[in-house]
Amino acid sequence: MRPSLKDDFMDATVAFSKNHNEPLWFQKMREEALINSEELSLPVYEKINYRSWRLDHPKNPFAEVNTDQKFDQPETNNLLIQDGDQTLVSKLDPKLAEQGVIFTDIWTAMQKCPKLVQKYLLTKTMKPAENRLVSLNLALMNGGSFLYVPKNVQIKDSIQAVYLQDNDQKKDFFHHVLVVADEGSEVTYLENFLSRGNTEENIANVVVEVVAEDNTHVHFSALDQFGENVSTYLNRHGYVGNNSELDWAIGFMNDAKVVGDFGTDLRGEGSHTEAKVVAITTGEQVQGIDTKVTNYGQHSIGHIMQHGVILQSSTLTFNGVGHIVKGARGSDAQQESRVLMLSRTARGDADPILLIDENDVTAGHAASVGRVNEDQMYYLMSRGIDEKTAQRLVIRGFLSSVIREIPEEEVRDRLTEMIERKLLNGQQD
Amino acid sequence: MSTLEVKDLHVSVTDDETDESQEILKGVNLKMSTGEIHAIMGPNGTGKSTLSQAIMGNSTYKITKGDILLDGKSILEMPVDERARAGLFLAMQYPAEIAGVTNVEFMRAAINARRKSDDQIPVMQFMKKLDEKQKILDMTDEMSERYLNEGFSGGEKKRNEILQLLMIEPKFAILDEIDSGLDIDALKVVSRGVNSMRGDNFGSLIITHYQRLLNYIVPDQVHVMMDGRIVKSGGPDLAKKLEDEGYAGLRDDLNLDVKLTDEI
Repeated sequence: MRPSLKDDFMDATVAFSKNHNEPLWFQKMREEALINSEELSLPVYEKINYRSWRLDHPKNPFAEVNTDQKFDQPETNNLLIQDGDQTLVSKLDPKLAEQGVIFTDIWTAMQKCPKLVQKYLLTKTMKPAENRLVSLNLALMNGGSFLYVPKNVQIKDSIQAVYLQDNDQKKDFFHHVLVVADEGSEVTYLENFLSRGNTEENIANVVVEVVAEDNTHVHFSALDQFGENVSTYLNRHGYVGNNSELDWAIGFMNDAKVVGDFGTDLRGEGSHTEAKVVAITTGEQVQGIDTKVTNYGQHSIGHIMQHGVILQSSTLTFNGVGHIVKGARGSDAQQESRVLMLSRTARGDADPILLIDENDVTAGHAASVGRVNEDQMYYLMSRGIDEKTAQRLVIRGFLSSVIREIPEEEVRDRLTEMIERKLLNGQQD
Repeated sequence: MSTLEVKDLHVSVTDDETDESQEILKGVNLKMSTGEIHAIMGPNGTGKSTLSQAIMGNSTYKITKGDILLDGKSILEMPVDERARAGLFLAMQYPAEIAGVTNVEFMRAAINARRKSDDQIPVMQFMKKLDEKQKILDMTDEMSERYLNEGFSGGEKKRNEILQLLMIEPKFAILDEIDSGLDIDALKVVSRGVNSMRGDNFGSLIITHYQRLLNYIVPDQVHVMMDGRIVKSGGPDLAKKLEDEGYAGLRDDLNLDVKLTDEI
């Protein structure tokens, strides 16, 4: 019989936990999750088949981090840069710290404010036994961060994080991010997952939780750049309380194989989410994104907008799931998923799913898989612009309906730049 | 001096649904040089727009016979963008809208497409030129900062086409019904823009239904098209005569057996 995950990793997990002075309750959570992972099944997403990626076969989660890495630092007062369990930069405006804002690696948080971490970690957005990959994320977690915004604190400047992932060594990436906006607070958070090196093939398993308590507004932006040798599970889930809004803007700029699982639970009355995703796939890359919003609260509003571009022989699948549960009267679920295919060998899907168990609601969906607009191409080229440049401009136009909804100019600019680079890359013959 | 010559041009379009091919141009001949303004007039459905699209290289229009020559060289094998860089410009009747790309960005890309990659137009120089040309057309910076044609009124789109013309400064500009949908004030502004281009290095082919535009942009030659051919050419007086007598009158004068689309 094949050795089990438990046999393979229990000793190392306990050793890693002790080594990082984790509280006992957390060590126990890890142990339980590792045992449970054997029984749990892999999550299933419509039309996204990732089984062959072997995301549940980690090799070396606790290898020591090689921190000898150079990187560009964003210019901001509130910044965390991590490479696994190593924190390379940790800055927070002293005024925010005074107000009780916490922005730190997960181990420091477990020391400084264990009660808060325990209250929110895998309790509100999902449970440790959600599925095999979530339980493995918990069991083998080797990097993570915690952002806490106290009651009634409104942060104007953005809080930014860069999470480095190294492919110059054999090391699985199990990263956990926990963002909590306590009642009446407001925050803008931007994270950037960034791969380095490409000599080894690795697994990345990321779980990001965002808790928006009552009367809050959370702007969440992500620029994802996992490299081509990574098989990635990227899970982001949000909990939204009464009269709160959680807005997602996700730039899926990976070169990796990625399955993205984005979910928002609109638990509160009058809760609201705007989930916006842009994705580009190139080369032989496969990316599948399952974006789901569940309306539990009355008068809750869930909007999904996903736009993607597929180049070369790559594959991109968008699922949009809008679920209104019984009792969520006066709720609204809308979604739009659009995919643009740039080559004959590209494969794409835009799959809308509406599950409505309440009568007094509004819901709608739009989905399309299409080619570049020939009228637009002709117009641009009739001004002397060459075909590839024209194509990039048309694509930019196509993605702009999502991009221009991102509130921070800096994020918009960075995303536009990434799109340009990824398209240039994907246009090479 | 540059020349643009259309020789015995036959053009067909294929209906997407029925797959049937229909001949629109049935042997058009036309020759013009920079320094000249030519007008093409004619009733609806006679092939005027087809001629302009065929010259620009729109792939919907298939050239079955004849040739188009720029400075004596055939451009039939050239893709659209190459024709544009060679000196052709088409102010379109229905310009496309592209969100997410500003007018300014677009015009810079168009100008830079004509320059070497290590010799792109400096921003200040570009802005100065833009400012100058906007003034001629009574346009504001606000319009140039907007997304390309998105949410523009009909008149704004026409003005924007002419702004591009002034910025790009082609050898030959084809203006396809640039006067349609314009009120008299806008018509004057657009004409002022086109007239500012007049000179030895610029030629224009103006396609219109109405003589009115030609009061403001006075052509050197007027051609009348009917049923896919140029049936009569002459000076500016020809346009005035048409205004008085109508296309049916000219047809009967010429003893042509042509049914006009809008004729009852």
